[in-house]
Parts: sequence; C-alpha cells; structure tokens
Amino acid sequence: MVKVDYEFRKKIMDAHIIDTLKYCYQCNRCTDVCPIANIAPDRYDPRSLILNSFLGFKSTIFSNEDNFFIWGCTVCDTCDEVCPQKIELTEVFTVLKNMSIAEGKGPEYYTTQATAIYESGKAIPSQPAIERRREQLSLPQVEPPSVEEVQKILNQTKLNKIINK
Amino acid sequence: MAKAESEYKLFQGCTIGNRIPFIEASARKVFDKLGIKTSEAPFACCPDPVGFNSVDHTSWLAMGARNLTIAEQENKDIVSLCNGCFQTLKAVNHELKHDEHEKQKINDILKTVKREFKGSINVKHFVEVLHDIGVDKIKEHVKNDFSGLKVACHTGCHYNRPSEIMQTDDPMEPKKLRELVAAVGATPVDYEEEMLCCGAGVGNAEEAPSMQVLANKFNSAIEAGADVFVVVCPACFQQMDTNQKKAGQQSNKTFNIPILYLTELFALAFGENPDDLGLKYHRSRLTSFLEKYGFK
Repeated sequence: MVKVDYEFRKKIMDAHIIDTLKYCYQCNRCTDVCPIANIAPDRYDPRSLILNSFLGFKSTIFSNEDNFFIWGCTVCDTCDEVCPQKIELTEVFTVLKNMSIAEGKGPEYYTTQATAIYESGKAIPSQPAIERRREQLSLPQVEPPSVEEVQKILNQTKLNKIINK
Repeated sequence: MAKAESEYKLFQGCTIGNRIPFIEASARKVFDKLGIKTSEAPFACCPDPVGFNSVDHTSWLAMGARNLTIAEQENKDIVSLCNGCFQTLKAVNHELKHDEHEKQKINDILKTVKREFKGSINVKHFVEVLHDIGVDKIKEHVKNDFSGLKVACHTGCHYNRPSEIMQTDDPMEPKKLRELVAAVGATPVDYEEEMLCCGAGVGNAEEAPSMQVLANKFNSAIEAGADVFVVVCPACFQQMDTNQKKAGQQSNKTFNIPILYLTELFALAFGENPDDLGLKYHRSRLTSFLEKYGFK
C-alpha cells in the first residue's frame, strides 16, 4: 500500500508563489503541452508527477529508479501557463528536484554548477582566454563579485553541506 | 518607460560575460546608438533559474536578492541581456515583494553580509527596453535593410513565462520580438513550433531528448522557409548555435542555419562591421547570409 507522507505533502502545497486553490482534476493539459512528455512519454509525465505530489506519495516518486521521472522537466514553464487551475507546476517540480539533490540523486551537472557558484560566485568562472577576447572586442572587464559574501550567504543556507564543501 | 537620462545596471550574466562576450559587444553598440545608458556592477551569478534553483530554492532566492540589493544601492533598474538572469531576478524580486515571511527569512540571511532587500527597483529584459524605445525610432537608425530575410523568431521560455510574474509579453504568442525584427526590414515567419523550448534545460540531465527537441524546433522553422533564427537568450543561442550537427544526427537531417542574437541583427542593420561584432565566433556559419546582404 502507498503511504501518504504528510510532511512532504505540506512542502508541496507550500510551493506556490501566487496562492491559488490547488485542486488538480487531472485534465492532462500539462502533459499535452509538455515538450518532453511529447518525445519521451514513458519516462516523463507531469500529470502523474503532480498527482503523486499532491497526494503526498513521496515514496512512489522517489522509488522510481530512472531519475528522468523528475529531471526530465526542461523548465519551459509551459504547463504553468496552460493549467486551468493555475497550479504552478514548475514550483512543485523545483521542490522535488531540491529533494532529489539533497538525497544525492540529481544529475552531476547541477552540483558541479552549484560548486562553481560557491567557489567563484559565477556559474561560469572568468578565464584568461575569454578576458583577452573581451579586450579584443573593446569590452570592459567583468567586475568580479565578492566571493567572500557569496560564501557567507551560501554557508547560511547550508548549500555548502549539500555540495560537500 | 525609462526616463531618457536614466541609466540601467547592465546584467550580462555568466554565459555572455564569461563565455560568449561577442553578444555583449553587439548589445553595447546597439544601446549606444539608441541612447540607452548602462553601467557595471560586481554582480554574482543571477543564479541560474534552471540549474541553481533546482539545487536549492532558498540559496537561489538569497543569491538573487543579493544581486538586487547591489542595484538598489544605486537606485537603478537592471537590464538583462539573458532570459535566465531576467527570469531569476524578476521572479526573486516578485516573490520577496509579495511574501513578507519569505522576505524576512532572506533578509535574515543577508544580514550576515550587511545587506537588506528592499524591493525598490525593477528588472527588465533588453527586448522590453528596445521595444520601449519604439519601432519608429529604431527604423531611423537602419542603414542596411534586411528586406527579404525570413526570420524564425525564438523568444525562449524564460522571456515571458510564468506570465503572471514576468509580465513581458503575451505568454504563448509573444509579439515584441516579431515587431523588432520587422523594424529592420526582415520578415518574421509563422512556424508551428515557435513556442517550443530549445531543449537546453533537459540537456543538463540527458543529451538525446535535448537534441530531439532541438531538431523538432529546427525542422519546423526550416519547413516554414526560415533563413535564420533570431534569439534573445544566451542559453538558447548556445544550444542552437553549437548543436546543429548533433541535432541532425538525432533526426537524420543536416542542419545549417545561422543563429543571430537580436542585438547582432540590429548592429548589422545599424551599419556595424561583422569583424567588430566578433561574428566569426559563431559555430554555425554566417558567411552566405552576410554575403547575401553585402557584408564582407
């Protein structure tokens, strides 16, 4: 039997920026317009992901061995736009992705990028070759951010623990 | 609309600033021509709404808020050259302005670096800023007319969605980019997959579906007779400019279509030289397009 995880369910329900009624009647518009469900229907389905999330079926979502079930979302926000109930699906999927990362199950790209941001303040750190190219193009130097400030903030949010720094 | 003498803080973002700076070169030239003033600031990563927000939402909010406080200190609005930075900064600004509890939580974090988010500035996409200048004023600067050029407009997802927050344009039928492309004489084509994502987001997890989405996008535009794509986001630009071979392998096609940033099309229309714009750094060749319109 599937167990309802109430704490998980509360997290999901709290994910909305603009507060609206969160009744999903499974009309399937999200899946209809999803570019990924369109090409990989067996592996990614926003309708069922929302259903399991709203019901609090955490174990059903996270026991799926293929993490594409969560990470297939390309963050195009199209489903949010067409949902007749104005459910902010992408916000819910962000909660799921954050949980997947916390469990160490996210694609490597994400923690690699977060590490670059933690270490340099930038997702793509400055490189000598590009700095030279900027000069050739008569562009000013990119003003470097305070890495100290960035790390203080990210230690507060405990991102350092998530990425093991 | 911004006041004539007002100045924006320029947010070029990590991808344009530290990977494909030639996009910034075209943007600065176009801004200069149109009298749009900008200045620099030591911004950190926006951070990435697809990558970093997926890792930890609170860290994303706090880092976004820190960037906003830098512009707030000078009481200047931000103009973003990138869809992703634009969505992050606008969404963080919105979320913290409308959620007192969340704002308190983030300000408690920012206290450690002696900052406070106030919510006193606005964030704009460069397409909005150009559109506010007005099509007629832009036409006055056109030296090279792009009549006959069929353009597949691709706004990308984060330019206008989620629309309740972004408020940039129509969420599923954006018009501003089409109007701007038409301002330099080119013709925006109608193609079925105009609103389709470029596929970059899913590419962070897996390459094959990302290339399939991209191939579907290319096929649709080419069938509609497009000569070039015009884009307004560096993530879309990179996905479309560098992955044509892979997308072709995925769908048994050969793609060879120029990808132009809107500011590059404008700079060329305003009389700039392709060399000064660093157009040689594009991966998909622009040679025949440039020759056709008399550039050497």
